[in-house]
Amino acid sequence: MQSMNLELTLIMPELIIASAICLLILVNSFLTSEKRYTGLIIGSITMAACALISMVFLIETTNSSIFNNHYRIDPLSTGLKFTTYLISLFIFIATKTNKENTKSELVLLELFAILGVSILASSNNLLTLYLGLETLTLSMYGLVASKRSSEIATESAMKFFILGAIASAIFLYGVSFIYGLHGTLFFDQFNNETINNSIEMQLALAFIICGIAFKFGAVPFHSWVPDTYQGASTSSALFISTIPKLGAFALIYRLLYEAFIANVEFWSLLILLLGLLSLILGNIIAIAQDNLRRILGYSAVGHIGFILIGLSIGSIDGAIAALAYLVIYILMTATAFMSIEVISTEKRAVVTLTDIKDLNSTHPWISLIMLFSMFSMIGIPPFIGFYAKWIILSELINSDMLVIALIGIIVSVIAAYYYLRIVWYMYFEKNELPIMKGSPNIFQKTSISLMGLSILLLGLYPSPIINFCRSIIPPFLLID
Amino acid sequence: MIIDQLIWVPILTGLIVLVLGEKRSNLSYSLSLVISSALFFLSIYMYLLFDNTLASYQFELKVPWIDRFNINYHLGIDGISLPLIMLTTFLSPIVIFTAKTSPKNKMHQYIASFLILEGMMIGVFSSLDAFLFYVFWEAMLIPMFLIIGIWGGKNRIYATIKFFLYTFLGSVFMLIAIIYLYMKTGSYLISDFYEVSLSLNQQILIFLAFLFAFAVKIPMWPVHTWLPDAHVEAPTGGSVILAAILLKMGGYGFLRFSLPITPDASLFLAPIMIALSLIAIIYIGLVALAQTDMKKLIAYSSISHMGFVTLGCFVFFIQSGAIELDTINLAISGAMIQMISHGLISAALFLSIGVMYDRLHTRNIEDYGGIVTKMPKFSVLMVFFALSNAALPGTSGFVGELTVILASFKVNIYIALLSALTLIIGAAYTLWMIKRVIFGAVTNEKINSLSDMKLIEAIPLSLIAILILLIGVWPKPLTDTMNSTILALSYLVNG
Repeated sequence: MQSMNLELTLIMPELIIASAICLLILVNSFLTSEKRYTGLIIGSITMAACALISMVFLIETTNSSIFNNHYRIDPLSTGLKFTTYLISLFIFIATKTNKENTKSELVLLELFAILGVSILASSNNLLTLYLGLETLTLSMYGLVASKRSSEIATESAMKFFILGAIASAIFLYGVSFIYGLHGTLFFDQFNNETINNSIEMQLALAFIICGIAFKFGAVPFHSWVPDTYQGASTSSALFISTIPKLGAFALIYRLLYEAFIANVEFWSLLILLLGLLSLILGNIIAIAQDNLRRILGYSAVGHIGFILIGLSIGSIDGAIAALAYLVIYILMTATAFMSIEVISTEKRAVVTLTDIKDLNSTHPWISLIMLFSMFSMIGIPPFIGFYAKWIILSELINSDMLVIALIGIIVSVIAAYYYLRIVWYMYFEKNELPIMKGSPNIFQKTSISLMGLSILLLGLYPSPIINFCRSIIPPFLLID
Repeated sequence: MIIDQLIWVPILTGLIVLVLGEKRSNLSYSLSLVISSALFFLSIYMYLLFDNTLASYQFELKVPWIDRFNINYHLGIDGISLPLIMLTTFLSPIVIFTAKTSPKNKMHQYIASFLILEGMMIGVFSSLDAFLFYVFWEAMLIPMFLIIGIWGGKNRIYATIKFFLYTFLGSVFMLIAIIYLYMKTGSYLISDFYEVSLSLNQQILIFLAFLFAFAVKIPMWPVHTWLPDAHVEAPTGGSVILAAILLKMGGYGFLRFSLPITPDASLFLAPIMIALSLIAIIYIGLVALAQTDMKKLIAYSSISHMGFVTLGCFVFFIQSGAIELDTINLAISGAMIQMISHGLISAALFLSIGVMYDRLHTRNIEDYGGIVTKMPKFSVLMVFFALSNAALPGTSGFVGELTVILASFKVNIYIALLSALTLIIGAAYTLWMIKRVIFGAVTNEKINSLSDMKLIEAIPLSLIAILILLIGVWPKPLTDTMNSTILALSYLVNG
């Protein structure tokens, strides 16, 4: 039993976020001006502070359980939190300096979502996990719906909410099964072998995996992904496409790799199936899309497929590969959405492929960064996306899953077409009537350049990402 | 260290050119011309330092890159890669030099693409680490994709996407094979792959995975269909680099990967490879005869000529009785000479077509005729290149093809006879084109107003002509460079 003081120190990032949320609510009720930067300022400072604190935890490799074993601060949780805070900082700077995005309700919701991810990452108990999950999901509904005047945003938020609520219910149903079977909610206590081998346990796991698949946006629970990417404002879509994925990784790792590792043979099959379906369907449907955001939505489904396939290997190396893929995917997709965000204006949001026609003539630098991001998503070296695909393929071949690796690469080649289409519209199409597009400010330019260059530079020297993922995943599984 | 500079100086210059922007494209042009010519002299310096007698890698540089997977930034050259690197550094300044002859949008991006491409191509030829090789091999697609797509002809988007998807599909299988070999050896070093012991079935699978990547690149029949499209739509510079250097990577891949890593599978599949080569040589040659578009004709002629490269790489395997080292040596030397020679000749032909295209904006053979009356100096060079394409003795084309045919004679007379048909077919399609384009009566009125080529167009063509002639009459410097490496390779292939 640790002292209260230590426990409070360890959850410092969460406390800071919670206080920032309270502060933001207070400040906003006294400020009425339309153009206000309180959200930007408070949000960025909070994220910077939290990132610093979790970096300290990460360096000290803090590893302890607090609050009666409900909450855990280990390298994995601090690592995921650190990534979350850092990327959120970039997102805040890139989106909230835009005069049209200053509504601080958005920052509020995003901070709630970040809090949810933090709790998810640290949970050591199904109840804590559910708390974090719902904090995250509920604020996501709000984010999607935040574009109040838009019909399509409202529609997609409604769909998202209904499907999400059902998924949460299914997940909770599975959790209640687990409690009924094991009589406990703590991750480290599901070790009764007879129960673990029972059919009821497998049923419960199937329910839980449905919930996880929904949060990840894996086929067949993917229909909300393209809808919300299309409906939400670009800044919200940027957030939704990145941060919650880290939460979903925490969810899947904590549950499958820690709590239910004894059933690895059962769940790895399910995850592999989900992964293959997402990989194939996501990438093939994306070819038929003309809406840039729907393309990115289906591409997200396809990438999730790769991540799930990595996780389905069921080994530490597989999890490391999947985490590396996830971090790299977030970097790429954030860059792509940021590029769309900074060239959109209120009157003319970038929605379809024709909106980026001949972007190379008006915004050569932004289109170069978009090009980096697209080739990176295809998996062409020297961009970082190549290493993501390569590390998953290596682990697949290492575990004798050569056929899956072959399917993966063939689908990657098919997927290359729609990424190339984006490049083609930016570079090859001629635009007779130049359309004036938004001109990014200095903050946006800086953050997008940093993200874009990191795709290239980390691609030239990928060891930091590989080593980071290696250092935060525990070196052995409980089952070993 | 020299190789390091050959790779990174052009890439960095390309980035600088991009930063300088469209307004300063004249400055960029001069800067990149100076830098790329300097690189050519640097590669000559490297050639002078190169020790012909050694079979091992020279100018090696090894720096740990991704420790976790034992991947090194490992460069080095031997007798096979040196001539190809020289070809690259020779043609890159020429391509940049000719960028000025036809005005283009976004000139700075055009030049930058070629500079970055140059660095990556040298990287492909000098990587000793399979992972590094793959990185350069794939990265090369990006500038080429943009070159065809932005500055190409009417149907450029279709052509460039076809080019990209074809080559990408081919090379991902190579990636799987490389990862598999890493799992077997625990290293990405190419020469470590030579020593791994594999069963025949494993060898065949690995051979096929590599074959897919290299066959698309060379390209071999029946995966050649991207090449005519890409060539027709690409701007002149793009066609030159594509035909002269990118295609050679397939042949280089066979010599560097397929033959030494999977000799048993090569022996087993050699009859198929020879059949495919002969189909390329004869059938594609006949297809070239039927073309009405000059660029398409040269594209098909490229496929036909590259058939000699694959023939040279595999013909010695089907020798009855023990394989003689001499035959292997002769065949592989022939393949290498053919690669260099075809690199020069096809580059020259595409440049010549570019000269005509810049004046009339058509590539249709029908639209031409009687060029010689208005452009005598140009016609001399064009006819010379056409004759070298038809393997006239005294030109480099003759040396390469004759050597491969000689090696085939030692093995099987029928193969030799069939491949020698190219001397007739090649002469037919090239000379018939020349007859219709250069000679004959002037049918198109516009031709009467043509002016002969300018100095800026004459310089690159004359330089290439000199080199073709030089290799044609005195190939010794080229063969001496390669001999020890090819001998070592023959031992590897022969087990």
